[in-house]
Amino acid sequence: MLLFLQQWRAEWLKLLARKRTYLGFAVFVGLELLVLAFLHRDGMERFLERLISQQGGLFDYYFSATTLGFWVLWMSVFLLGALYLCLVGGDIVAKETEDGHLRLLLARPISRLRLLLVKYLTVTGYSILLVGFITLTAWLLGLMLQGWGGGLFAWAPEQGVSALINEEDSYVRYAMGGLALSLAMTTAASLAFFLSCLPIKPAAATIGALSYLLVDMILRMNHVLDDCAWLSLTGHMVQWVYVFTDPLEWAPLARAGAVLAAVNATLFTAGWLIFEGRDLKS
Amino acid sequence: MLEVSHLSKRWPRTGRLALDDVTFAVEKGEILGLLGHNGAGKSTVMGIMLGMVRPDAGEVRVGGVSVQRRRAAALGQIGAIYEAASFYSYLSGWQNLRALCSLSGWWDEAEARTVLRQVGLLDRADALTGTYSHGMRQRLALAQALLPRPKLLLLDEPTDGLDPEGIREFRQFVLRLRDEMGLTILLNSHLLGEVEQMCDRCVILRQGKKVYEGIVPGREQGKGLRYQLDTAQLMEARVMCAEHGLKMSREGLVDLGETTTPEELAASFVAAGVGITRWAPQRATLEEFYLQHSGPGV
Repeated sequence: MLLFLQQWRAEWLKLLARKRTYLGFAVFVGLELLVLAFLHRDGMERFLERLISQQGGLFDYYFSATTLGFWVLWMSVFLLGALYLCLVGGDIVAKETEDGHLRLLLARPISRLRLLLVKYLTVTGYSILLVGFITLTAWLLGLMLQGWGGGLFAWAPEQGVSALINEEDSYVRYAMGGLALSLAMTTAASLAFFLSCLPIKPAAATIGALSYLLVDMILRMNHVLDDCAWLSLTGHMVQWVYVFTDPLEWAPLARAGAVLAAVNATLFTAGWLIFEGRDLKS
Repeated sequence: MLEVSHLSKRWPRTGRLALDDVTFAVEKGEILGLLGHNGAGKSTVMGIMLGMVRPDAGEVRVGGVSVQRRRAAALGQIGAIYEAASFYSYLSGWQNLRALCSLSGWWDEAEARTVLRQVGLLDRADALTGTYSHGMRQRLALAQALLPRPKLLLLDEPTDGLDPEGIREFRQFVLRLRDEMGLTILLNSHLLGEVEQMCDRCVILRQGKKVYEGIVPGREQGKGLRYQLDTAQLMEARVMCAEHGLKMSREGLVDLGETTTPEELAASFVAAGVGITRWAPQRATLEEFYLQHSGPGV
């Protein structure tokens, strides 16, 4: 176990030593600022005011740091999160194969399964870290604009979620939302990781994963998958918003969590089996 | 130390036969050169030794442990430079070593410093490998192959791209490793001079088949050599050779058997009044030998 942790630490070191990792974090802060500016436009504020009023809430109370955090969080992850996670997931094996790093790594007494497990856990860990970072910074930026206090207004019409949460519960729910979203996003990274195990270019793995998610989302939003909604990966990924229902609905969260965990495990296993059978030679 | 048994490999995509029943062995403390033209199968053999390429048939055993069955245990005894070593350019030499050693479940800072000093990289260990010259990267590749201390060193074109001074340094260092640490070394190289100077024995591959395994030509000592005689009395010399049970060519080349030494034969020539202008060993160079065995297309 200690050895595994040392190997995991080394993999994190490699990931965090890259400049572009930090560039990604900086890009997300920039995007969050843009989303915040968008939310503060008159039209958008009036739209939010109308939604909050329809629920019987006071705009001044519910237009808070956590509300801004919620909106910035899902918009940022929707716009760039999948792209960035697919980039990291698509690179983690395919780029190392392409660059010849794997020849150095696998000249060591480590099994391919163990090496892939170390890399997979790093990618999923990175997904959680990145979404956690967005969750925190979105809230901090909201705090700078709106100050402390106020309730949380969460809105996801597709799932029928439109909730007003009082200040007391809002922080916990917001943190839970960030965690649930980060876990859901591990599936995007897992998909890219699976493709990365195939003998293809890293860009192909990234584009392949993104294309799958995009097509899946378009089909779902256009109700093409209504009769077989369980097939939609993004349909399961968006269930995280049930964290904001009042009272909290555990069933859809647990169901989506179980499905996504099974999908992740399947993608990892399939990726490993393919990678195990490959000859690694330039 | 290393046994390669009946390795065969056909690339599934192209259907090309990369290896055809290749068998050889490397004894403990020996340096064996692996020679062959491009595409002869040298790197494929090395890939199979490291478990990166799966053979269709055959097996590689390191210290009696099968790479194909117990890869981790077998590779625990190997240090390798396989194809061009590609380090993480955004990590320092030190960080690269540490990351690689973590995969072996080993790290000893003092030992790592010792090896870095040996390869002459200690003062640049904290610099990013992206700033290293090709020679420095090769030295770092050798350092990582030596950590943790292996019993068998696999070197795939280790001096590729090095300048003459670098090649000489590398050669001396590897020979020292064998002499001081008793390392067994398998060297895959295109540089025949390098193999000639470093290796005890060599294996020549041609189109996936082993065509020679034995002492590196030009390194034989003592009996069993070919000698060149320059004389004006070739007929008399031939008679003398026949008396010793030896044959002499028209050009004066004599293949000495196991029972006759060059000194004895020279003494017989002198005793018979054969005037000797030159009597010298005629050693085939490795290049001649290699070209003869690897055939056309080299």
